[in-house]
Amino acid sequence: MQKILERAEAAGEQLSYDAVVIGGGIAGMEASLSLADMGYRVLLVEREPTIGGKMFLLSKVFPTLDCASCIATPKMAAAARHPNITLWTYSEVRRVRALDRGAFEVDILRKPRFVNESLCTGCGLCEDACPVVVPKELDFGLRGRKAVYIPLDTAVPRKAVVDIDNCILCGQCERRCPAGAIDFTQKPRVYRVRARAVVIATGCRPFPAELKEAYGYGRTPNVITALQMERLLAPTRPYNAVLRPSDGREPGNIGYVLCAGSRDVTAGNPRCSQVCCMYSIKQAQLLLGALPLADVTIYYMDVRAYGKGFEEFYQRARSMGVKFVRGRVARIEGLPNGDVRVMYEDVEEGRLKSAVHDLVVLAVGLLPDNEVLKAFEGVTIHTDELGFVKVDPEDPVRTNVEGVFAAGCITGPKDIPDTILEAAAAAMRCAAFLKEVEARQT
Amino acid sequence: MRVDHRLADELRELGARNISQCYSCGVCTAICPLSEEGREIPRRMVRYAVLGLRDRLERSLEPWLCYYCGECTKSCPRGADPGALMMAVRRYLITRYDFTGISRVLYRSPLAEALLAAALFLAVVLGVYFLHGPVNLERVDMESFLPAGVVDAADIAVAATLASLLLANAYRMYRLTRRGPRLPLTAYITELVKTVPPHFFTQLRMLKCRGSVRDWVMHALTAYGYGIVFVLVVLFLRAIHAGVYPAAHPLRLAGYVASALLLAGAGYAIYGRARRSSVARQYSHPTDWLFLILLLLTTLTGVALHVFKYLNMPLEAYVCYAVHLGLAAPLLILEVPFAKWSHIAYRPLAIYFARLNELRARRLQPSP
Repeated sequence: MQKILERAEAAGEQLSYDAVVIGGGIAGMEASLSLADMGYRVLLVEREPTIGGKMFLLSKVFPTLDCASCIATPKMAAAARHPNITLWTYSEVRRVRALDRGAFEVDILRKPRFVNESLCTGCGLCEDACPVVVPKELDFGLRGRKAVYIPLDTAVPRKAVVDIDNCILCGQCERRCPAGAIDFTQKPRVYRVRARAVVIATGCRPFPAELKEAYGYGRTPNVITALQMERLLAPTRPYNAVLRPSDGREPGNIGYVLCAGSRDVTAGNPRCSQVCCMYSIKQAQLLLGALPLADVTIYYMDVRAYGKGFEEFYQRARSMGVKFVRGRVARIEGLPNGDVRVMYEDVEEGRLKSAVHDLVVLAVGLLPDNEVLKAFEGVTIHTDELGFVKVDPEDPVRTNVEGVFAAGCITGPKDIPDTILEAAAAAMRCAAFLKEVEARQT
Repeated sequence: MRVDHRLADELRELGARNISQCYSCGVCTAICPLSEEGREIPRRMVRYAVLGLRDRLERSLEPWLCYYCGECTKSCPRGADPGALMMAVRRYLITRYDFTGISRVLYRSPLAEALLAAALFLAVVLGVYFLHGPVNLERVDMESFLPAGVVDAADIAVAATLASLLLANAYRMYRLTRRGPRLPLTAYITELVKTVPPHFFTQLRMLKCRGSVRDWVMHALTAYGYGIVFVLVVLFLRAIHAGVYPAAHPLRLAGYVASALLLAGAGYAIYGRARRSSVARQYSHPTDWLFLILLLLTTLTGVALHVFKYLNMPLEAYVCYAVHLGLAAPLLILEVPFAKWSHIAYRPLAIYFARLNELRARRLQPSP
């Protein structure tokens, strides 16, 4: 793929939009929809083959236990179909230049899907035909996908994409496709787009759990991340059951290790990631539903249930029988039978303890997904020491560069309601800026 | 229970730099290879320090049961450096066990420490200068310059003083840390025999620390090097003074081995501390440096003395001898009862006392 992308050609046409929104997660979709509803023409750029970001992978949301897909998928569809939104998936922002006040030049690379989007109906026959199986990214490796695949059942756009790095070019998908949509002659194109404002909504990436070596992630099969558990609990889940990876058994005893990769200088992230306590409590409640006989233990330092209804949600988990143990897990080791031992100090008793679980879930923290900031030329978007975009607390969606706004987890870890709130606020600030620029030009 | 807010500051001065960062997560205790149920280190000590529970801290033996592998500091999510706290508490305890108050001065003021060391050095060198016997410049004649009898007498006086000081301090340590009822006399004796000699001679507990085999070997080499020198000086000083021996003579060989061990040990420790090669060597207290430098210099002058003697350079040999004794004086007098070297007694005794406390606790509980 890298080689193909290096030969990307510039597209001839010059496009122009009111705003370019970078990132098609819940923040980017919300900001785009708000701007589009106000009548602005928006280009929504998403790196992955589908929009939806992290939220549409989740099971339920806290503290209401609403279905995450049921909130996210209508937004995804709305964003894709809005007349004022142009959606470019599988596209990367390569360069952003500030030409003038309210004038940006954005170079966007559209990667080839090797599938003609206008012909593909998303029937999935190509998937059946493809002989190559690789781990599925959106399920965090819990199951496989083919080299030509539809990213997820609820993907938007529901179009196939060829993973050319793993494709063996056997041509079976091409022969099977009833629409004749497979097109290996597609080429990458770089589009030069003029925009009057930019909204950064690239969100977060989960803390790479293998960096915390004492927790053995990657070495111990039954140590998984909370995002993997999220997939095991989601409606679009693999196996249609909660099973542990090593032997496919139903776990009867699950441990949650909070603050995996947050509030930890040894992991390079001294800050609280804001959502891990709550999503762990949510998952614990869902697990008690999915596996009625299971014991769930949460190892915590202090439960940060800071939002509306959070404390009640936490107390509910306690009353449901979720065990909360105060003490940060220091070390995790895999046992030969696949079980997992956690070593910790029970801080309330001051006693050294260890416990054996069938499955251990690491409540991984959130880090910024800020790759795109390198694309800015001539101006620098200020970030804090962890790489989150710096914003003024008095105006929490505005970056240091005029006309560039930021919303969602890229400005700091936050939950979904706060992200939506920020996205709407960024859209409003952006609209005000666009209005002002327009007024000056006429 | 009294809360003393100055305790944390005192410990900070002794090297516990970041301890107020602790948010009590317990990782240090869970990661510590020496931590065991019922004897958890180091977080309990951190709590005592942060809360200012001076009495509790002074009554604890746990600091002596830690051998500073640095695992807690490496894994502390707050960078609170619990390993450094344990070291600081050991320094603090040395000052508390010492009834003379000298050790407090040594640990709190590097200047006083340097002055005291210099004074002892000068006193010994001047003493030798004024009191030495006839100087034979024809050949090296130690026996007439400074008769072994005189040195031995001084040695015995110093050794007796130091030993009684150290024992008195160790007794205070015992009084402070004793918990529970009296035990039968046989228990005291059997436990003494079972714990102190093996730990004194092997430092076995240190081997339980992860990745500390090399440090353990170097420590043992240094200790045994010193042990050999100690035996040579105490038992064979007269023979060493009087005779000139062939290179393969047991006395000379023993001397060579001891010098090599001491130089290697002290050199390794100094190099490590200068390079800050491990967590335990990140931050050195002035007393650490004084101890190591005196040890190295004493060894070096001892080697030089030997060289001068066998090259037949009398004046150099006499001067070197005076300097050698001058350096050995502060090394022994300051470090053994009052500073770093006192761990020679406190570490094995702590294991003994902890064991006694365990037996006492068991007696308190009715057997099932």
